[in-house]
Amino acid sequence: MGKTILEVKNVYKNFGGVKALQDVSLSLKEAEIHALVGENGAGKSTLIKILTGVIKMDEGEIILNGEKTKIENPLSARINGIVAIYQELSLIENLSVAINIFLGHEPIKKIIGWINNKTLMNRASKYLKEFKIETDLNSRISEIGLGEKRIIEILKAMSINAKILLFDEPTTGMSATEIDTLFRIMDKLKKKKIPMFYISHNMEEIFRICDKVTVLRNGRNVGTYKTNAVDHKTLVRTMLGRKIEEEYPKRKLKKSRDILLQTEDFFAKDMLKKINLNLYKGEILGVTGTIGAGKSEIGEAFFAVTKKIEGKLRMKGREINFKAPIDAYKNGIAYIPEDRKTQGLFLNYSIEDNLLITNINKAVIGKLFISSKKKRKFSLDISKKLRIVPLDMTTSALNLSGGNQQKVVIGKWLIGSPEILIMDEPTRGIDVGAKVEVFNLINNLADSGVGIIILSSEFQEVKNICDRIIILRNGEIVKEIDSKDITTEEIFSLSLGAGDGK
Amino acid sequence: MVSKKNQVLKKVLRGEVGLFLALVAIVILFTLLSDYFLISKNLFNITRQVSTNLIVAIGMTFVIINGEIDLSVGGVAALSGVATASVLVSTGSITLAIIVGILVGMLVGVINGVLVVYGKVQSFIVTLAMMGIARGTALFWTDGRPISNLLEKFGFFGAGFVRSIPVSTIIAVFIFIIAYIFIHRTKHGLYIRSIGANLEASKLSAIPINRYRIITFIVSGTLSGVAGIIITSRLLSAQPIAAEGLELDVIAAVILGGASLSGGVGTMIGTLLGSTIIAVIDNGMNLVGISAFFQQIVKGIIILTAVLIKRRE
Repeated sequence: MGKTILEVKNVYKNFGGVKALQDVSLSLKEAEIHALVGENGAGKSTLIKILTGVIKMDEGEIILNGEKTKIENPLSARINGIVAIYQELSLIENLSVAINIFLGHEPIKKIIGWINNKTLMNRASKYLKEFKIETDLNSRISEIGLGEKRIIEILKAMSINAKILLFDEPTTGMSATEIDTLFRIMDKLKKKKIPMFYISHNMEEIFRICDKVTVLRNGRNVGTYKTNAVDHKTLVRTMLGRKIEEEYPKRKLKKSRDILLQTEDFFAKDMLKKINLNLYKGEILGVTGTIGAGKSEIGEAFFAVTKKIEGKLRMKGREINFKAPIDAYKNGIAYIPEDRKTQGLFLNYSIEDNLLITNINKAVIGKLFISSKKKRKFSLDISKKLRIVPLDMTTSALNLSGGNQQKVVIGKWLIGSPEILIMDEPTRGIDVGAKVEVFNLINNLADSGVGIIILSSEFQEVKNICDRIIILRNGEIVKEIDSKDITTEEIFSLSLGAGDGK
Repeated sequence: MVSKKNQVLKKVLRGEVGLFLALVAIVILFTLLSDYFLISKNLFNITRQVSTNLIVAIGMTFVIINGEIDLSVGGVAALSGVATASVLVSTGSITLAIIVGILVGMLVGVINGVLVVYGKVQSFIVTLAMMGIARGTALFWTDGRPISNLLEKFGFFGAGFVRSIPVSTIIAVFIFIIAYIFIHRTKHGLYIRSIGANLEASKLSAIPINRYRIITFIVSGTLSGVAGIIITSRLLSAQPIAAEGLELDVIAAVILGGASLSGGVGTMIGTLLGSTIIAVIDNGMNLVGISAFFQQIVKGIIILTAVLIKRRE
């Protein structure tokens, strides 16, 4: 392997009483893709933020190309060529792709500061050619897909001469083909000897693209491995510091023929084509497919979030027509949206306010006044049941780990004892340990008779957790099957439209 | 340990306690500067000055914590005053006049709310337009002239006293207590704040968001109407140009009180303190003899300072 580009030595960082990083050391070599893994709260993001100058470390050294370097703020990180590709994109929606790539350092004609359009386009198209990308430089950012946007982010980083790239969960929300393109570009960068850090919860991706993997646990580096010298199980065990019995807990299947929810010719222009499906009592139904296959739209239609969908919806045989989410809620439907930070939570609110927002009537005296005592009691009860950490109900949702945030979103619906629970990507961005807890929760709910619909693009999760699976492609049901009669690979190829994989 | 204590102290000082201490400091300053400041007559004067602005500011707090803005309050106050006076002149019934005045404010609130929620137009635009429409209607209706010589008895609300406490102050305190309980102790208040904090999450939490968003505009319109009636009563004359620039004074008071224009944050106590501080400064500067032109500069600087102190977190 080549020479060492970046060395992190004995870094410490505390937030109040929380030890986010303790004595962490690691190094990044030329042309190396180095994965950082660990449970939520293990310190991965803190490390990235220190390297990009967003926060300052308490103690420790950063050595860049053999020289001790101080990274005081985001600007000095940038000057040193360290650039992060964050999940939250830093592109400007209304400007063109070309302008976005060079934003902040446009080629400029001297004297008046006119942007030199010709040079700009030439340079931009040079980048596109180099990485074999077919995005139209003149289209606006708002017109291109999420995967393309993330790739434009990378080009933007290259245009400012980035020497080290940091990826924080870059594939979130990307389709399989988009991920392929991303990995192809990362390969190119590797050939240009650019080293990269890669944060992800997705083991498959790590083994596919990364050379090395460092495991962080409770703010400590508990091991660095070569990816070709370690297996999935060992890695997970190191991350958790304990053995997990089962990544996908099993449950006994009780078949019921009571239909809870039924759609008849669900149809939405350009999105869905005549969807007919049933949800039975006590069943976990998986609706899967790639991004854009129409999963979320179905969930939103059940909860009356969108009114784009035509067709009939029946609940226990009775035809219903919800006008707003509140009608669905009153009829016993709960909906856990895809993006918990913007759709599910009030980030500045305490755990208890978040938990009780939909069920405030339970903590109200005389139909009007909120009783803090009752509020505390209800929220504590549910938090204990869901094992939310911490049990301090006044903690604001912002300060919870992803897994605990998700539990709060789930908890707020469970208080209302729903009959039907719709979950859109229930385990996105949460760590292995929390995933198991969420799955156990789903199993228990189904056992108690709740009908559950899981909308997910994680094929493995769908295969292992759901009783029955519906596969969508381009808004159409291509397969409806019991999960025991299909393999993950078959689900994958059916979703992509590559035959049934047999 | 010391730094932790300091942090707690800083937090407290930035909150309502800090605002209260600022008010106390301002009162002490003016007491030292003027012999006429801390006498009961002047203090009642101040409470009367506060009362109309506070009533409107309470309504504005509803709108601002809901994540919106209402620029029409001044125009609505003038329009309600004119409507009240007209009814009073033509029917002689104080009750009817007041009911009409309040209904006018309420109606404008409904229109604002419906346009924002169902018309999907930003509240800044809707209420900016409504500011002109309300003020214009008041001017057009009266041909720009005040409606004067109203019934003496009608002056009770704006200029009367009960046991030497101004009636307008009593009305303001009464409205404040109800609003405080509503915003801080009931589920409706929680919903209004939640919608301001995160509209999307509120919708997906099965909160009937449209209803609450409209309600906040109705509250603001209605309370502007109440303030318009009190102003008219105090002068025994309805001025179509009354309450000009009221919206900015009131928004300043609410922001000074700690609310955020992006919604979700703000308290009634903060609004009370913010309105009082602005009224005390107005009054004190008048007593000390600072020029009216210079007063505006001082007020502007105070608002900027307060917001900057809050920003430094």
